[in-house]
Parts: sequence; C-alpha cells; structure tokens
Amino acid sequence: MRRLKVLLALLLALSMLAAACGGDDDSSGSDDGGSDSSDDGGGDDGDDDGGDSGGDDGGDTGGEIATDYGVDAENKIIYVGLNADLTGPFASLVAEIVAAQEVYWEVFNANGGYQGWTVEPVVLDSGYQTDIGIQNYETLAQESSDGVLMITENTGSPITAAIAEQAAEDNVLVIPLSWASLWPDPTFGSAILEKQTTYCVEAMNGVEWLAGKVESEGLDPALAIIGRPGEYGEDGSVGAALAAEELGIPVVYDGTGAVAGDDRSAVIAELVSSGATMVWVTLTPGELLDIFGNSVSQGLQAYWSGSSPSFNYLVHMPSDFAAEFSEYYFQSQYQAPWATPGIAGMEDLIAAMVEARPELNISDVFTTGWIEGIMAETLIRAAIDQGDLTRANMVAISQDSSFSVDFKGLSANQSWPADYNEAVVRSSWIYDVDATKFNLIPLGDYTPENPGSTGLIPIEQDYTGSVAENYVFDGPCIEASG
Amino acid sequence: MITAVLQFAQVGAGATLIQTLVKALALGSVYVLIALGFVIIFKATQVLNFAAGALSMAGAMFMTILISDGGFPLLPFANPLAPAEGETAGIVLFFVHVLIALALAAILGLVIERVAIRPMVGQPLFAMAVITLGIEIAIRPFNLDATALEGRQLGVPWGANSWDWGGAVVPKSYLVAVIVAAIAGVSVLFFFRTKLGVAMRAVAFDQEAAMAQGINVGRVFAIAWAMGTALAALGAIVYGMAPFPPGGSVSQEIHPLLALRVLPVIVLGGLDSVAGAIYGGLIIATAEVFAGQYLSQWNSTLGSGYSTIVPYLVMLFMLLVKPYGLFGTPEIRRV
Amino acid sequence: MAFNRPLLRTSYEQDAAIFPSYTQKGMAAVFGVVLVLMGLGAPYISAVPEFFLGATWINPITNMLPLAIAALGINILVGVTGQVSLGHAFFMGVGAYTAVALGGNGDEWQACVPFHEEIGLLEERGQCGLGLPIWVWLPFSGAVAAAVGILVSPAAMKVRGLYLAIVTVGLVFIGLHLGRMFPEYAGDFESGRKWPTLDFKLWKEETPLIEFTEDGTWFGLIHLSEEQKQYFLLMALLGGFILLAKNLVRSRTGRALQAIRDRDIAAEVMGVPEFQYKRLGFAISSFYAGIGGALWGSYLGRRSPVDWSLFLSVDFIAIILIGGAGTIAGTMLGAVFVELTPEVVKHRTEWLAEQIDASNIFTPVANFLLTTGESGDFGPINIGTVAPGWTMSVFQWNFVIYGVLIVIFLIFEPLGLYGIWIKIRNYWKRWPFSY
Repeated sequence: MRRLKVLLALLLALSMLAAACGGDDDSSGSDDGGSDSSDDGGGDDGDDDGGDSGGDDGGDTGGEIATDYGVDAENKIIYVGLNADLTGPFASLVAEIVAAQEVYWEVFNANGGYQGWTVEPVVLDSGYQTDIGIQNYETLAQESSDGVLMITENTGSPITAAIAEQAAEDNVLVIPLSWASLWPDPTFGSAILEKQTTYCVEAMNGVEWLAGKVESEGLDPALAIIGRPGEYGEDGSVGAALAAEELGIPVVYDGTGAVAGDDRSAVIAELVSSGATMVWVTLTPGELLDIFGNSVSQGLQAYWSGSSPSFNYLVHMPSDFAAEFSEYYFQSQYQAPWATPGIAGMEDLIAAMVEARPELNISDVFTTGWIEGIMAETLIRAAIDQGDLTRANMVAISQDSSFSVDFKGLSANQSWPADYNEAVVRSSWIYDVDATKFNLIPLGDYTPENPGSTGLIPIEQDYTGSVAENYVFDGPCIEASG
Repeated sequence: MITAVLQFAQVGAGATLIQTLVKALALGSVYVLIALGFVIIFKATQVLNFAAGALSMAGAMFMTILISDGGFPLLPFANPLAPAEGETAGIVLFFVHVLIALALAAILGLVIERVAIRPMVGQPLFAMAVITLGIEIAIRPFNLDATALEGRQLGVPWGANSWDWGGAVVPKSYLVAVIVAAIAGVSVLFFFRTKLGVAMRAVAFDQEAAMAQGINVGRVFAIAWAMGTALAALGAIVYGMAPFPPGGSVSQEIHPLLALRVLPVIVLGGLDSVAGAIYGGLIIATAEVFAGQYLSQWNSTLGSGYSTIVPYLVMLFMLLVKPYGLFGTPEIRRV
Repeated sequence: MAFNRPLLRTSYEQDAAIFPSYTQKGMAAVFGVVLVLMGLGAPYISAVPEFFLGATWINPITNMLPLAIAALGINILVGVTGQVSLGHAFFMGVGAYTAVALGGNGDEWQACVPFHEEIGLLEERGQCGLGLPIWVWLPFSGAVAAAVGILVSPAAMKVRGLYLAIVTVGLVFIGLHLGRMFPEYAGDFESGRKWPTLDFKLWKEETPLIEFTEDGTWFGLIHLSEEQKQYFLLMALLGGFILLAKNLVRSRTGRALQAIRDRDIAAEVMGVPEFQYKRLGFAISSFYAGIGGALWGSYLGRRSPVDWSLFLSVDFIAIILIGGAGTIAGTMLGAVFVELTPEVVKHRTEWLAEQIDASNIFTPVANFLLTTGESGDFGPINIGTVAPGWTMSVFQWNFVIYGVLIVIFLIFEPLGLYGIWIKIRNYWKRWPFSY
C-alpha cells in the first residue's frame, strides 16, 4: 500500500512539474498563437479563398495581407527556413552558402525590407542525414506560428527527394541546393523550385566546349565518362553521353556509376587504357583528385572537365597535382565566381559580404546563397503585392508562367513555365584553372585592387553550346525512382 | 611534368603487375600497422579496440595541426619546428613531426586507458569492447569538425612524385609506407623481447599470475594503450601520405572507415597474434588490390566498389575453416 | 493475495506472470492510458513531451517506435541469448527491402531494368515492386529476415564472442554493397526509393480501408492528424510485439536461450541443444529487425541503401546497454533514451539560444555555452553557421554526448537505466529502513 501511495505522490509531483513547464511555454506563445487559429480556415483550403479570409489581424497593422504559417503579421516578420548541412560532408561549402544568404537578408532588412516586411532565416542542421533532414523539415513545416513560409535552401538530393512529396502536400515551397534534373518530375510533386543549370545541361555544354578544345590542340576527340552512382552522377553522365551522340564523338569509356567505395583502381586502369583524349566527370572532389592524379601519373593525356561540384579549389589547389589541374582541367559552373568583374549582382554581393563577414575567406559559393536570396525575395515581393502571404500562394506564384527572376548577371535569368523544354536553363560558365593565380584571402583584406582569387579564370560566360541549344527536352534527363 | 617523363607510355601487362604488387604491399603495410595496434591492445588488456578508427584519425589530425597549422592540438602555442607557411618540411623534419604526432597520440591513448578502461578491468570482454565504441563515437565529431570537406594537408616532402620502373609507375610514398611498416613491425617484435615486453606477454598469458610475480599490470595496460594508439595513428598517417587518394591529406571520406577495414585483417590473423597481424594485413591487402585491378572488367556484374568487400568475404571464408584465425589462440571452453 | 509481501511467489505461474502484482498491472494500465492521451494531445499530459521535444514532439517519438520494435530483437539476441551482433542494421535492411519489393510502386511486377545497361536511355528504369498491401508485406518482411538469419547462423555458430561481433560487422558491409549492386530494388544509392505507405488496404484498391497518411476522422468521433494516426498504429504494433517478446522470454524457449547465454556448454550438458537454440535466437532477432526495418522505411517514406549502416547497429547495442540488457522494460527505456536524447538536447539548445536576448537567469548560461561565431564570443556550442576554431554544432555535440553516455553507463551502471530503476524501487520499498 505504501509503495502505491509513494508512486501516486511521485506521479502527481511530476504532472505538476509538467503543467508548470507547459504553462510557461503556452504563455510565451499565446500572443501569436491567437492569430493562427483565426487564419487556419483560410490557409488550409489553398490559395483561392486565401485572399479574402484571414485579413482580420493583419488589417490593423499593414494592409490586406492574408497569412497562414511562418508569418508574424503583427510585427511584419516573415520566417524562411534553411535545412542545411552544417556538419556533414558538405559542411564547409554549405556554411558559406548559408552565410551568404543570411547576409542577403540582413541587407534586405537593413534597407527596410519590402513595404515594412522583414525576413528572418531559420537555419537547421541536417548533417546530410536523411532522417534528420526529414525531422528538420517537419519542424520547419509545422502548421503553427513556429513554422516557416517557405524553405529557401534544402541541402542535397537525398533529403530533397525525401521531403518532396510531403512538401507538395503541405504547400511548402522548397528551393533545393541540388542541381539534379529530376525535380520537375511529377513523382516529386510541385513544390520543388529547381534553380540554375542542371548537371545534364552543364555536361552537354562542357563536353561540346571540351571537344573544341581537344581539336584545337590537334587531337581527335574521344570521350571518357566517369560518374558516381546515384542521380547526381547519372544526370551528368547522361548529359555527356547525349552530347557525344549529337556531336558524333566516340565514347571510349563509360564509367557511369563505376566509382563507389574508396578503391578506384579499376576505373583508373580502364580509363588509362581507353585512349581517351577528353574526360567528363561527375564526382566528388576527393574522387576526382584520386582518379585525376593517378591517371595523369600513369600517362593519360587528356583534357578534363566536370560538373561544378566535382572541382573544389580548397581540395585541389593545395594538392600535389595543382600544376596538372592547371594544365588539363577546366571548371564548369552555372554562376559567376568570386569577384568576376562587370557584374552588377557581384558588386552588391562583395560589398555586403565584406561589410558583414570580414572573418570569412573569399568563396565562389557565396553566389549560390545570394541567388537563393534573390529568388526568395522576388517571390515574397510578388506575394506581398498580391496581398497573400500564404504558403499555398507562394507555390502558386512559383508556378505562374509570368513569374521570372533576374539574377543581375550572377546566373542566367530564370522563369518556370509549365513546359519543361521552355523552363530549362541552357547556359553555363567555363573557366580555366590556374593554381598560380590562387590567392585565398579573408574578406576583411578585400580591396578592389586585390580582390583575391579562387584560381578560376573565365573563358566562356553564359555559354550555350549547339547541343544544349537545340536539344528538345521532353522531360528531365533522368527519371526519378518511384 | 610527370607526363613528359613518361612520354605517355602505354602501360604493359608486366608493368601493371609490378604496379599492382607494390600497391598491395603498400596498402598491406598500412593494414599491418593498424592491425598491430589492435593486437597489442588486445593481447595486453583483452579489449577489442573499436575506437581505433577515431584514435588513428586523431593521430593523423595531430600531424596536420603540427605541420600545416604550425601549432599544437587544442593548445595556443606555436610549433617552433614547423616549416614556414607555404613551404614543405624536409624529410628529416617531416619524420620528426611524425614522431611528435605519435607521442601525442600515445598520450591520448594513456588518457583513455586511465579514464575509461582501467575502471572496467575484470568486466566482460563485450562490455569493454562497447566502451571503446562509445569512445569512437565521442571522438569522431572532433575529427570530422577539424577535417572539413576539403581535408587537411600532411605536407609530405616528396609529394606525389613517383619512379618509373620500366613503365610501371611507383609512387615514392608506397615505398616509404613499406619501409615505415617494416621498421615498426621489427620494433614491435623486438619490444616483446625486452623486459617490459616479456611483462606484457606474461600479463596476456595470465593476469593474476603476472601480478603475483610482481608485474605492475596497470603499467602494462597503460603502455599497451599508448603503443596501440600510436601504431594506429602511424597507420593513418602513412595512409594519408601514400597516394591511395593522392594529395597527401587526411580526408573525411576515407579515414574514419580505415580501422573498420582492418577488422578482417585481425580476424584472419587472430586477435592476439603479432605474426597474424603481419600475414593477415599482407594477405587481405593483396586480395583487395588484385581483385580491384584484375576483376575490373566484371565491374558491372560485381557492382562498383566490389573490391572493398573482398576483405570481408575472405574473412568469412577463413572463419568457416579456422574460427580463431590463422594464428589466434583457441578459447578453451569449460563448463 | 493481492497485496502480500513483494517477491513472495507461491507458484511457478506466478513467477512467470507478465505482471506479478496488481500494482504493476495498475501501473501498466495507467501508463497505457497516458500514452493514448498523449497521442490525442490531451492538455497537461502532452505538455511533457512538448517541453522536451517542442511542438512537433510527435515526429521524433513516432520515428522511435519502429526502432524500438527492432530493439526488442537485439535484446533477444544479445541480452537473452548472449550472442553479440553488430549486424542488426543488415537484418533491418533485409526486412525493409522485402517490404519494398512486395509493397513497392506499381500494381504489377515492374520490369527490373538494371541502371547502367544503356546510358542515356533511362526511361525504362523502374524498381521492382508488386504493390501488395501492408498485411502481406509486413509479415513477409519479418519472415524473410528470419530466414536470412537462419541462413547466416551456421557461419555465426562457428565463431564466438568478439569474433562473432566482427563477422556481423562484415555482414553490414556486404549488405551495403548489395544495395549498390541492385538499384532496381534499392533505388538510387543516394536518394533511395519510395517505401509503401502504412495505409491498410484489402488488396490494391485506390482508397485504403484505413488511411494512415491523410488527416481524418476515426469512428466518426475523433479527428486525428496523419502524425497522430501513425503514432497510434506504431504504438499498437509495438505493444503487440512487446507482449510477444515478453511471452517468449518467460516460456521454455526463453529459459533455454538464457541458459545458453549464461554458459553455452553447461546448457548443452543439461540437454539444451545449443545449435538449435542459437539458430532460433538469430531467427527471432532477425524477425523483429525485419519488421522494424520495414515499418521504419514505411514511416519515413524514402530510404536509401546507406541508411542501413554500421552506425544503426551501434545504436542498438547502445540501446540495450544503456537501457539494461536482457530486460524488455530496459530495452524500451534504452530506445527512448538513445533515440530521443539528441532531440531533447537540440530542442533545449534552441530554447537556450532564445534566452540570450531574453535577459533572464538563463542568459549567462546561454552566453557561456553558445557562440554565434562572431569574434570575441566564446562558447563550445556553435549556433551560428561558421564555426571558429574547434567549436561544434549541437548536432556534433550530440554525438559526443552519446558516446560519453555509453562510457559512463558501462562504467558506473552496467545494468543501465533499468538498474537505476530497480535501485530506486528498492530504496522506496525499504524506506525508511536502509536494509
């Protein structure tokens, strides 16, 4: 009997403790919680009735703006989410991208925002692990005042694929940090807003340009393709193969999906004996370093290029093969790297970054974060103009054929018509790698005379080859696995 | 450049064989070093050290911090011996740094033994092994945080230079790996003939009897952990400087898994056999490298990256034939 | 007999009962009611998980449930039979891929075109899947995993102790390679493929009989969100599997397995056939792993081959060691502790970050622990995006905490959380007397 009493007393004490703690949370959340409940009806049913409902609380502070989740209508704050890899394999790149987007919003807010609305980014770390990425998504997408309006960055194909359907269901618009060409696929729903050139188109342009380079050196083009398994590698390899077919270049070695695990000797052996004069890779920087270094040491004479993420100046410039990379490797990208002169957007970016984050080193990927900011800002402005800051309306705007984004020269301007063939971005950037120019400086040391360099010298900007130009896409290059 | 030296020579069959053999030897050397670390710790303390992955990588990280950053790990001091920024150390200075890094790794091993292993003496073997799993998990984030995506440079003096042996390209690092492993292996064998080594063997044979003979078992434990950690760290450093992925760096992609690849080696050789670690390392590495090179035309059938599971397949097969490895001591089972 | 002296048993039936006393029966009932009320979002009761896990507390908890089912399996193998296995992730994968092959996309057997056969012409790429309902694929995922467990067991019989642990590590790596080799089953190596949903269908009809992936009203009474439905489904399944495991452990089979754990040769001498029971232990453990893996994949919707890695196996070892090996209550405590602690740390750190600007008693703590990465702001936990020096994010600290907890539990409390519970219980039982 005594045991039971003690237990009951314990349970009672526990529940009181819980009630006290819970009460605390409730009171802090109640002021914006109230506005949610009045908006629920309007937001859930979609964009049609979103406009006429929910104006009750926004009315007294700022015009007739409908809101549902992730917007603090009272203080005119819009929350946007970043589901980023800050500790996983891509941490050092993604941290810089996130930093750039944060600076973008700091500048946006410092300039007074848009019609008094400011934007607060909410950054969650996924560590590039799918289950944590899904949990983060659930946190960002929750239908309460703690949620966000849209996700302005979602790192990586695996996590984007994992949340895509749910995002479509929840009407949460997602800008993926992934250039795989499968996001418009119906399997992934309608909420993934693909940006910039896909790996597939990039490979088409890259192979075509590389073929010209090889011919100008007096060699016969013979293409070798190497890619990782998975959608990233396959997307690039498919683009390269399509370009080779169109241009009549023989594919002497096809190593699509052949690079897995950490022993690449089989790939290297076949590549070296294939007699290739040009190589297109879709790899990670570590894999490229291994395959490039060993193939060059073993006497392969070929010109190399690969999709943007394959090359990383932080890995390759200090390596023992910096000289060989300078000689044989050409970097392909879909945006302007650090301090490219004559680009309006780049001047804004440099001024803001140098001011706000002097302790960071210069980086090419700031552009990516900046571009995400431009996309989100354009969407938010359009939504405010329409008086409808609901999640459903963000998705609706992104699907509107008249919606387009001007990247101020940082990347090819983009719009999202329903027809994939019209929507696809067909240009990319091609750079010469020059290790002697490589000069990584902190942003604080930046001067216009000494802007620092990531070792990339522009060769072709906004380049569209004949293959990419004329290719009729009846859909993405690779299909999603259902 | 290298390419000019080689004149784009087409690699012949004989040259390929030599290249493959040397690579197998070099990879085998790395395996032997890490396996020796496992075996010494197991012999003296009966602990299967699952933390070898994190500890070996930590050792390699110490090396990069010493030589590339010019500092000491976690301490705000400058390293007076470090080469000037942008320069590479000479060969002698490089190996001096290797020794300092190994000393630091040994200290890490001592601390872990004192904090986590000593209180567990007498507990079941499995519990001790799981403690090391906990240590692995706890140390790994520090390694990954410090390596970052781009890896860390080891500042190898001879870089990725290689010799041309009649068409066969042999990176200098491969030979260094073999020499380092040979020196370490011989030192370990000699160590077991010193007084301390004999004490360690006595402890391995029977702890209580050894204590009764006046052997300080605690000291033997500490030394075994220091040696084991240092050997594992040496393995990771050698792996980083040999161009398995070239560039002489410690990488986030590969180093954390290195010790797991050595598990088949110690199972093949026997958990408590020094000779077993040496033979096992060479056998497994040879199987792995030769399978990677000569079965490559069946890549699409076998699945890309098949060579990484060759060690496990060899291990499974061996266990069916000899359950305690080639040289391991069978457990005597009593009711 | 109701409230007689504790631990006084007058019959074997009593000794083997699931709940030996009415107190325990009552407590179990109260606990069950609390779980249901929590799922329904009852005030005060659901405030507890909300305090620890934030407003979306139901997601981490539901995510834990399939893992708890799999943990029951590892408890039977490691805790009850005494066979150390690090291969649990492999068996979970076997179950999960059985589920996806039977329940996966399409309503007929999809053509399995290997990925790399014709580059550039990947339109025909499809995954194999029969589109069968959950009542087919769930039992099969357990059965196939158990069959694979039996298949592997002769090799595992040969080796003992730590050698067995290493062999099972090998299994995990071979499993990962198989995932790479058969993308028609496993999907892309990175993004994986879609798992069948938890919806209960009779056969292949369009609208499921009981829907678990849409918000809806049950029995015309209670409106439940999708998350709540899945919580209740998985909680009910977990409850069923706990009963199954409990009954197994207290039966003749369970006693034979424990005899093998305690000393296998002695058990054999006493007439317990060692080989048969070890094989049975493997089969049962793999069965649970397969079910858990299938449900986990189904709950998360999309899994890739890399998810069935060694780290997952290590999680399970940690679960039973932290919880208390050999007991089902301990296993459940361990599962809750191991899977939810990182979430709690994450949520409370976010809360702490808010206190920096709030200027209350927590502000100095927050300032000491957290850093945003600006110069002059020190702290071990980095909440900014750019880490200065060796500071790490909450995410990385969670791993450190996890590792350290494993070490601490093994050193100071080898019986785990269950052991701590027993100590507390005994203390109160004897109170106010110390003996």
